[in-house]
Amino acid sequence: MESKNDLVGHKVPPAHLIVRGIDKKFGGLQALKDADFEVARGEVMALVGDNGAGKSTLMKVLAGAYSADAGDFFLDGKRVSIKSPNDASALGIQIVYQDLALCENLDVAANLSLGKEPVKNGWRFLPYFLRPIDNLEMESKANKAIKRLQVRTLHSVRSKVSGLSGGQRQAIAIARAVGTESSVVMLDEPTAALGVAQTKQVLEVVKRLRDTNHAVVYISHNMQDIFEVSDRITVLRHGQNVSTFITSNTTPDEVVVAMTRGLDKNSVGSV
Amino acid sequence: MQSEKKIKFLDRLSLLRETQFGAFLPVLFALTAIWGYFGLILPIHDLISGEAENFRAIFLSPRNIYNLFMQSAVIAALAVGITVVLLLGEIDLSAAATAGVCAALLGVLVLAGVPGFIACLIVIFVGIIMGAAQGLLVAYVGIPSFVVTLAGLLGYQGLMQKILPTGNLNVGDPFVRSIARILIPDIWGLILALFVFALFLFTTLRKQFQRKSKGLELDNNWTVWFQILAFGLIVISAVLTLNAYRSLPLLLVLLIAFTAFLDWITRSTPYGRSIFAVGGNAESARRVGMKIKRIRVSAFAIVGLMAAIGGIFGASRYGSVSYTAFAGGSLLLEAIGAAVIGGTSLFGGRGSVWNAILGALVIGSLGNGLDLSGASAADKLMVSGAILLLAVAIDALSRNSVGGR
Repeated sequence: MESKNDLVGHKVPPAHLIVRGIDKKFGGLQALKDADFEVARGEVMALVGDNGAGKSTLMKVLAGAYSADAGDFFLDGKRVSIKSPNDASALGIQIVYQDLALCENLDVAANLSLGKEPVKNGWRFLPYFLRPIDNLEMESKANKAIKRLQVRTLHSVRSKVSGLSGGQRQAIAIARAVGTESSVVMLDEPTAALGVAQTKQVLEVVKRLRDTNHAVVYISHNMQDIFEVSDRITVLRHGQNVSTFITSNTTPDEVVVAMTRGLDKNSVGSV
Repeated sequence: MQSEKKIKFLDRLSLLRETQFGAFLPVLFALTAIWGYFGLILPIHDLISGEAENFRAIFLSPRNIYNLFMQSAVIAALAVGITVVLLLGEIDLSAAATAGVCAALLGVLVLAGVPGFIACLIVIFVGIIMGAAQGLLVAYVGIPSFVVTLAGLLGYQGLMQKILPTGNLNVGDPFVRSIARILIPDIWGLILALFVFALFLFTTLRKQFQRKSKGLELDNNWTVWFQILAFGLIVISAVLTLNAYRSLPLLLVLLIAFTAFLDWITRSTPYGRSIFAVGGNAESARRVGMKIKRIRVSAFAIVGLMAAIGGIFGASRYGSVSYTAFAGGSLLLEAIGAAVIGGTSLFGGRGSVWNAILGALVIGSLGNGLDLSGASAADKLMVSGAILLLAVAIDALSRNSVGGR
């Protein structure tokens, strides 16, 4: 576990979100044990581990979907508490779930503003939920969000999500997470169900997120994607940290070994 | 080759149904086909085969169209309400029974001397409570809406029989009767139609203009003008036809006004958007912080509201309340059929209340046309079943070809 901090430092900007000593138990099962994690702005931090290693649990703790039994959260060095999804989104932590949760029957613009539709001025005598939606404003916003992430293949924000490809949907889901003043974006297996071309498209979007100074947490099984897009890699095993690698200093084989066997004292690249 | 073509056709069909105006086309087509059959093909066939001495244009006569609209009004009111719960992906089997209880209560109240206007308000309130009560069971207890409203159907049928032990009651209250009796003078009906048309023209063109000035993508000019022309043609010819027999009845104006209001609520407000979102993907709606349970309850309350209005319309039109006309008859199935034939998906998230009105016209035209051509009740049932099946098949196919990628 000490090896982790050796790798953080000169190359990496100060961390934006830091969690220390996270414990989470489900009944008798210890899903996370004294887990540490951090991610900086302008960085893609990959989170890897075998099935049941605790990746998803850790992510859900960060998103407030689970509350940790023990552990400390720091945002820009300030201690914060994340007890519910609302806490997380108020702190600018957004999550894009694997199942995306888009409304296929609505168009792209409506999905991007879902739950916070812009309404026209001058109807203040009505409660918010009965004021007329400002569709044009909604479309302008959507156009901006799509442009920011450079989703080139999307022709119109007025097309229904049901007609989009998997890669486009992923991009829309990411755009929705980013649209809300977020600083940390967590992506759960964003390329799991995608073909080669669409994976490339999503990875482009992830890079755009990094370039726009977001802190990106990227969960995946796919080593090729991870090595293409990430700056650092945190490896979990049995709910505990194994190590954090700087991507450019390691190899897929080393990471796989760390995932499956843990760190061997003699192993070469583990510092 | 063949299957490829078929897939393409289905894709095109579902793409068409995704657009706002395109969703009307299948039901408009069905309506045209039915009117064409009963209004033109059947009379011509009779004429050629010598069954009739001369061309009998009874079906498309202004008098029959007038009756058709009035006959369909109660179905339409219920169908509009049912559409709202269908959008959520739920169903309401108790709407007709609710309408029956409301109509019976209205009859009893005015008989007891309560002024007609007050009685109507009370009945509307009761309808909303009856709907919302079922909504509470669906949303908070978690019983499937099919079961809750099936229980509601039985319970409310019983309740209606309790209120009307004889199963029949005349309603003579002048206020209640006036809803169906008052006719808008010809000239005012026409002015109203022109006004509505001008409003549609203005808002459509203004939207197009605003899009241009904001640099958003524009609607196809042809489509815009086609919509405007089609809308104007339908509204003005409907009023002219009604004027040719009597005049535009107040009841239809009220029905259209309620429907327009619900259309605005469901399509243009955050509340309506949340109905579509829950129907499309409830998990997604929950994650963005929508109050799903409250939305469900309110949707069932809207069905209750429209059922009460349907009950008032029925009592006003028939001048009486009977068990068979509401709770015990075919009204429920006709109303659900109207909503589905209109193109509202049983799977939730797609449809519009205007389609329910057109669907009600299809159901009403079928019944009316088959009656006129002397078909038996058995024929009517079988043809209605076939049309309903066709509508649901179109819904299922167009859903598969888009969703099944």
